[in-house]
Amino acid sequence: MLSPSTAFWYASRATGVVAIVLLTAVVVLGIVVSRQGRLPGLPRFAGLGLHRYLSLLAVGFVAVHVLTAIADSYVSISLAAAVIPFVSAYKPFWLGLGAVSIDLIAAIIVTSLLRHRIGRRSWRAVHWLAYLSWPVALAHGIGASTDLRGGPLLGLTITCALAVLGAAGWRLASAIRALPRARLVPGLMAAPDDLLRAGHR
Amino acid sequence: MDKHNQDLAGSVAARDRGLARLRAAAVSATAASMIAAGALAFSLPGGTHAAVTSTRATQSSGSSGQTSKTPGTSGAAKKLSTPTSAPTASSGTGQATSGGS
Repeated sequence: MLSPSTAFWYASRATGVVAIVLLTAVVVLGIVVSRQGRLPGLPRFAGLGLHRYLSLLAVGFVAVHVLTAIADSYVSISLAAAVIPFVSAYKPFWLGLGAVSIDLIAAIIVTSLLRHRIGRRSWRAVHWLAYLSWPVALAHGIGASTDLRGGPLLGLTITCALAVLGAAGWRLASAIRALPRARLVPGLMAAPDDLLRAGHR
Repeated sequence: MDKHNQDLAGSVAARDRGLARLRAAAVSATAASMIAAGALAFSLPGGTHAAVTSTRATQSSGSSGQTSKTPGTSGAAKKLSTPTSAPTASSGTGQATSGGS
């Protein structure tokens, strides 16, 4: 039962679950917006804005999740263990995965904030880390606590996994469908030159 | 010129509508997340934290208490919270007579 002595522990678990759901929404939104350009009922800039806002909201929940875990006196988790992987005395592997995920998310957020300075290519390369960060975060959630492994939250875990897998599969399928068109691009780009040459003749 | 102004006004109105929807979606997502976190904090299973903490307090074995860190609802935590292995200090039921080591 929630009491003053256990408040941090329950808050850490609850914010961790919500953070996983938000990260799932961020990944799915990112995929949909990048492939389709817009969400139903929202203009493109609003879809991107929602993706960014949910990212920051997820980071906020991750921050509360980490800080409450550190503040809780039941387990001793240092601040260093939250950002340096596999140094925690408590469940080093599973907490290490959480630290890896936090580092990856930090890299994605920082490069997104500096997107105009680092260039689109670099930003995009780092942004692909989201595909690694999300499963690592989910593995951390499943391994570090039993909350996501059973009961009603197991359904939530499966739903999140299916949502990301479905979105990633859809993206992959649409990228494969676009391949033949991509091959046509050099030909299309060369066409105006041919037309110009024909015009000069 | 009027046509251009009308197009511009239409674009501005569409942008304002988009912004309003974005704001509404953001507020809804924030509220839903906070409510979900609060509800989860109250409904998550496992009174093991309190049981283990009180056990640790009653044992006072001088250890740092880092060896029995089994939070959540893991099997080990459940074991620790059962009366046979860990009679709590405040229960006072007199049922913990199974000789817990």
